[in-house]
Amino acid sequence: MTEAFSLSDAGFRSAAAGALALAFGGAPLGVLLIARRMSLVGDALSHGILPGAAIAYLLFGRDPAALTIGALLAGLVLAAASSLLARTGRLPEDASFAVFYLSALALGVLLMGRQQNLEVLHEMLFGAAGAMGRDAVVLSAVAATATLVAMALFIRGFLAESADPVFTRSVGVQARALHLLLMMLVALNLVAGFRAFGALMTVGLMMIPAAAARFWAKGYGGQAAIAVLISATASLAGLLVAAWKGIEPGAAMTLSAASLFALSGIFGRVGGLVQNLPGRAHLEA
Amino acid sequence: MGAVRLHDVTLGYERHPAVHHLEGAFEAGITAVVGPNGSGKSTLLKGMAGVLPPLSGRIELDGLARPDIAYLPQDHGIDRHFPITVEDLVALGLMGRRGLFGGVGPADRARVHEALSAVGMEGFEGRAIGSISGGQLQRALFARVLVQDARLILLDEPFSAIDARTTADLIALVRRWPGEGRTVVMVLHDLDLVRSACPQALLLAREAVAWGPTDEALTPERLLRARRLSEAWNDQAPVCHAHSPGAAS
Repeated sequence: MTEAFSLSDAGFRSAAAGALALAFGGAPLGVLLIARRMSLVGDALSHGILPGAAIAYLLFGRDPAALTIGALLAGLVLAAASSLLARTGRLPEDASFAVFYLSALALGVLLMGRQQNLEVLHEMLFGAAGAMGRDAVVLSAVAATATLVAMALFIRGFLAESADPVFTRSVGVQARALHLLLMMLVALNLVAGFRAFGALMTVGLMMIPAAAARFWAKGYGGQAAIAVLISATASLAGLLVAAWKGIEPGAAMTLSAASLFALSGIFGRVGGLVQNLPGRAHLEA
Repeated sequence: MGAVRLHDVTLGYERHPAVHHLEGAFEAGITAVVGPNGSGKSTLLKGMAGVLPPLSGRIELDGLARPDIAYLPQDHGIDRHFPITVEDLVALGLMGRRGLFGGVGPADRARVHEALSAVGMEGFEGRAIGSISGGQLQRALFARVLVQDARLILLDEPFSAIDARTTADLIALVRRWPGEGRTVVMVLHDLDLVRSACPQALLLAREAVAWGPTDEALTPERLLRARRLSEAWNDQAPVCHAHSPGAAS
């Protein structure tokens, strides 16, 4: 198990800065993935980065830059390979991801298991407190900036390709290139967070706030803004609880997001439980 | 625009032809594509729209580029739960000409609103696409076709599963398009509608059974022949060595 950190650590401030950056990068992507019914693709990608990180670990030890580059390369390869396989039309995209990520996970376990490094594997999946150094904060900021710039440039294409792929292809827009770009942005954000918060927990902070946002807004823009807010709130709350109680920050952050999801599901303006209680008078139109 | 010409075009999936050896031209105006289920009508439109490359042959579009073609498929595959509004859906019609980076300015918004008004959907701009009926969505998709301002318009069973009033409104819209210099190719099942709205018809049954003026193409004998010919998928089918039969008539 990893050790938690304290509020006075420099690591705490780094983790808070990194988590805030990831909220801005990851949450809008999560909204898009949920809208495309690809909620589990982030999960698949998070496993897919393991062999890259494992190979980097075996070659360079715990060097942060090597681990990050290895994970990033593996994530990009997985995203590209899955998109290419789906492009043949023989398999739906989620099936393509399943094939690649399960193979990647097995490879990661094999590589790390041989070296008796299962604790490192555990850290990769669930995070290591204090691993958010200056370089990781910078990477998180880069991931968030790249995501927001790509969103600003291509949001209409992303929405078109997601809502109506046949139309998008028929007007000659490079829908598949856009799709690949989206997957690569997901991989970049996952890699930016995986060493501090764990690959799986980073996915949680991407997807759970996005799911919660659906209870507050109908349009993509509103959902993305609320998802960022929920992700940032959950991250800071989780970090504070982790520092206070001495528990793993990644898990505390994800559970904070889950708590906000539960509150959204109950009180949300759009389809929340309270809005639809049996016996409430229906509206006029 | 001139005619869209098919030169010995075969379209299909996994080397199996859905429709083969088509030879002929769609002249300006409205042409109905008619035929039994499985006769290759939708596949032909996919080929003309450029979303399905021909297995063989060539489709000559008379200089038309992708943005000059509007395609409304029967199974549009739009995710009704996707979080976009009717206005945004219609505004996607601008994408073909503006490209990925093109923004939507006030003039574009006005054009979108005008198109929605033309299909009787004013006031629906801010509604989520998941909260409108099937007929309203079809009207919105027609508004998107208007925004596309295309010279070739391909409609695949555009009036299935919508009520009579919506059909009448949209047919009135389609009838105006030839006068604006647009060519319309429309898959239809309702033969009365075909005879009343479409001067030209192509009768398909995995090949062209007849192609020409609607009254000549859709005789009882030819319709009966088309019903007998359609639907064949054989995993053990030998390679086709047929030569182009030329335009059927």
